[in-house]
Order: sequence, then structure tokens, then C-alpha cells
Amino acid sequence: MIEVVLNDRLGKKVRVKCNEDDTIGDLKKLVAAQTGTRADKIRIQKWYTVFKDHITLKDYEIHDGMGLELYYN
Amino acid sequence: MANRTDPAAKSIHGTNPQNLVEKILRSKIYQNTYWKEQCFGLTAETLVDKAMELDHLGGTYGGSRKPTPFMCLILKMLQIQPDKEIVVEFIKNDEYKYVRVLGAFYMRLTGSVTDVYRYLEPLYNDYRKLRLKLSEGKFCLTHVDEVIDELLTKDYSCDIALPRVQKRWTLEACGLLEPRRSALEDDFEEEEEKEEEEQAMDSVEDDTHEKNYYRGRSPIRERDRDRRRDRQYRDRDYERDYGRGRERDRDRDRDRDRERDRDKDRDRDRDRERDRHRLRDDRDYGRERERERDREGRERERRDRERGRRRSRSRSRSRDRRDRDHEDGDHRKRRTRGSVSPRRRPEDDGSTRDEPKKKKEKKEKKSDGTDHPDPEIAEANRLRASLGLKPLK
Repeated sequence: MIEVVLNDRLGKKVRVKCNEDDTIGDLKKLVAAQTGTRADKIRIQKWYTVFKDHITLKDYEIHDGMGLELYYN
Repeated sequence: MANRTDPAAKSIHGTNPQNLVEKILRSKIYQNTYWKEQCFGLTAETLVDKAMELDHLGGTYGGSRKPTPFMCLILKMLQIQPDKEIVVEFIKNDEYKYVRVLGAFYMRLTGSVTDVYRYLEPLYNDYRKLRLKLSEGKFCLTHVDEVIDELLTKDYSCDIALPRVQKRWTLEACGLLEPRRSALEDDFEEEEEKEEEEQAMDSVEDDTHEKNYYRGRSPIRERDRDRRRDRQYRDRDYERDYGRGRERDRDRDRDRDRERDRDKDRDRDRDRERDRHRLRDDRDYGRERERERDREGRERERRDRERGRRRSRSRSRSRDRRDRDHEDGDHRKRRTRGSVSPRRRPEDDGSTRDEPKKKKEKKEKKSDGTDHPDPEIAEANRLRASLGLKPLK
């Protein structure tokens, strides 16, 4: 179980607990549950890499405590 | 200049009509090539030509959330705000199904509640196929009536948040709308008659099958089971006199309820229960009335539980056991009134009660983590379960 921090630089900073083998799509659903936006409106990036929905966190090498950028579609 | 709303346009739902599409999506559409090339300087007439060229529905697709031409035309319609007659013409036209759906979508966004129901419900009878573009970029098959159903029941479609509409039965209660007449009503009535006949046959066998009632659970259909139970607890003479009339009332109620809330099974059943209670209240049955009401309430709980997937099984099992204990006591009281059934019931329950206990233990061990000692993790697991994800490791 890892904890990821997502920040949209406009005031929304959420800490989400998830498994390493969860996909980005699952992570988006968890973030949506916590922030109140819709899951399909959320885009998760790291600098210019937009993370795709069907790939797991483990494959993206997202570790515990890592900070990700939260953008909106 | 090209993106400003027509200055003569009225405000919709208290805001600039283009604001019905949210900001990010609107910017995406303004930057889209289809919008810039094809949608420049469109009027109501030329819009019709563009609409006829449509060949798929959809919201945004792809990694960069590209909007479909359908979305661009919706925004264009919001911008120029065609008259209601033109929109109704779009909906009534039979030849071009995408023009129809475009008109229906626009009506759903901008029309008043009664207009929405009045103009969109006839489209339920249109069964033509449509091409829908998914957010991955692939196409999938849908139908006109499915799309209309989505527009009327959900509050989000094609990446646009739809304005709220009241439920149909609220409007019927206010008298603004007539009760819905389905095109399939005649077919339903035939089915109802067939069921009534079946019930008439069953009631003769009922008295000899009291035991089966207590044992049987899943094989019997819910509605039949309830009707059979009702009949057993009533006086036999009474049933002979009033049985037929009540069935007819129930059928009528059922028809009305079915047309009212297609999606809400639970509401329908509750209505039916209420009607049955009301009818029964007309006679003096005193204690039995209360007992029946409790029993019906518990039956309803049990039925809800069987249907409800979200409630944890362990909780329901204990309640189930408690119900059965109560029922046991009640049933024993009833028996002293002089009915002839043998004392098989407690034994039956004993054997069946062991199974739920075993299942309950198994269930808790196998759980989806919602009983984790750490409350934070339990909370997180509950959320994950509701989203359909596996528990945290």
C-alpha cells in the first residue's frame, strides 16, 4: 500500500492511499471521490508526461510519498 | 467575435447559453478545426445542412480530449439560439436520426421541464441504431431510445452536465403532465391477465402447501410469494368475498406504478405494499393487522437485502436470524387459534439457521477489508469497495 500526493497548484492537495498494482484509472476514481470532480475530467501528469489510464502505478514507478500533478480536461 | 453569443439571444437557466458547456470543454471546442472551418458564420438553415452530415455522437475522445463534431454543433446551436419551432422540427423529422438526436439534446439543455418530457418521450419509440464515439476513440453501438433514456434519467451525457429535471411523477402529481402511456401497454395487459389466471389456479393449491411457504425461498417469484403469504394469513371466507376485487386493484396499481418508475423497483414494491396495507386497514383485524404490518415490513427488508448488493452479508444474516426468531413466536401464537399445521416449522428453521451462521463466519474472514482494525484503512477500503476496487494491501 502506498500513499500518493496529488497537487493542482490551485489549492487542491490530496493524499490518496492505493495499491501499487492499481491502475491510473483507479487512482483517478479515488481522487474523484475525494475531491468531488468527475473521474474522467481529471488528468494526472508528471512534468510533461501524461499518465495513461490502463497502466499500473508500479509500471510507472510511482513510489510511496511521490507527488503528482493534477490537471483537468 | 466569432465565439460570442448572439446578442439577441435570451439567457438560459439564468446564464449565457454557452456557459451550459463548461469552460475547459468550451475552450477545447473553440480551438477545434471543425469549429473554425465549418462552424463559422452558420445560421439556422445552414446548420441543418451540417447536422445532416453528422454520422456519430459523442463527447470528447483521445488523450487530449478532442471534441466531436456533434459537440461543436451543440455549442453552435447554443450560440445562435434557434427558435423553438426549428428545434421541434429537428426532433420531429424522421429521416435523419442524428438531426433528431441533436434537436433532442438541445431541447434537453434549454427547454423547460414539461417541454423536455413532452418532446423527448415520443422518441422512446424510435429504435434505430446510432454510432457512439467513446472516450478511448473507439466506436460503439447504441440506439435512439437508449440515448433518450440517458438524457431523461441521468444528469451527465456527452461530457456535458445536463440541467436538472424533476422526476416524472412529481410533474404528474402537479398535474402538468399526463401519466405515461407506453406503446407496449397492450402487451403488458395481456401478460397481467395471464398471471391472474395462474394465481387463481395457485390459490386452490395454497391451503395444502403451507409448509412449502416456510421452506421455499428462491424458486418462487417475489410477487407470487407475497401474494401467497397474504392469502394464508387472511380468513378463508373473507378471501372468497374480497379476493377478486383486491387482485384487480393491485393489478391496476401495479400498472400505474410500472409506468411511473421503470428504474425504481424498490419504490414500486413499496407502493404496492402500502396499497395492500391501506386495503387491509379497512377491516377490523386489530392485533393481526399490526402483526401483518410488521411482517410485511420485515419481508420488505429481506427482499431489499436479497436485492441489495452493497450491504454486508454479516449484518443482514444476523437480522435475518432475528426476524426468523420473531416470526417463530408469532407463528406459534397463530397456531393456538386452531390451525392444523404440524410442528415442523421450528425444525426446518433449525437446519437452515446453521447454514447462515457458517456462511457469516466465512464471509467475515474473506472480507473486503472493511473490518480492518485501523479505522482509516477500513474507511479507505469501504470507499474502494464502493468503487469496485480490491482492498488495500
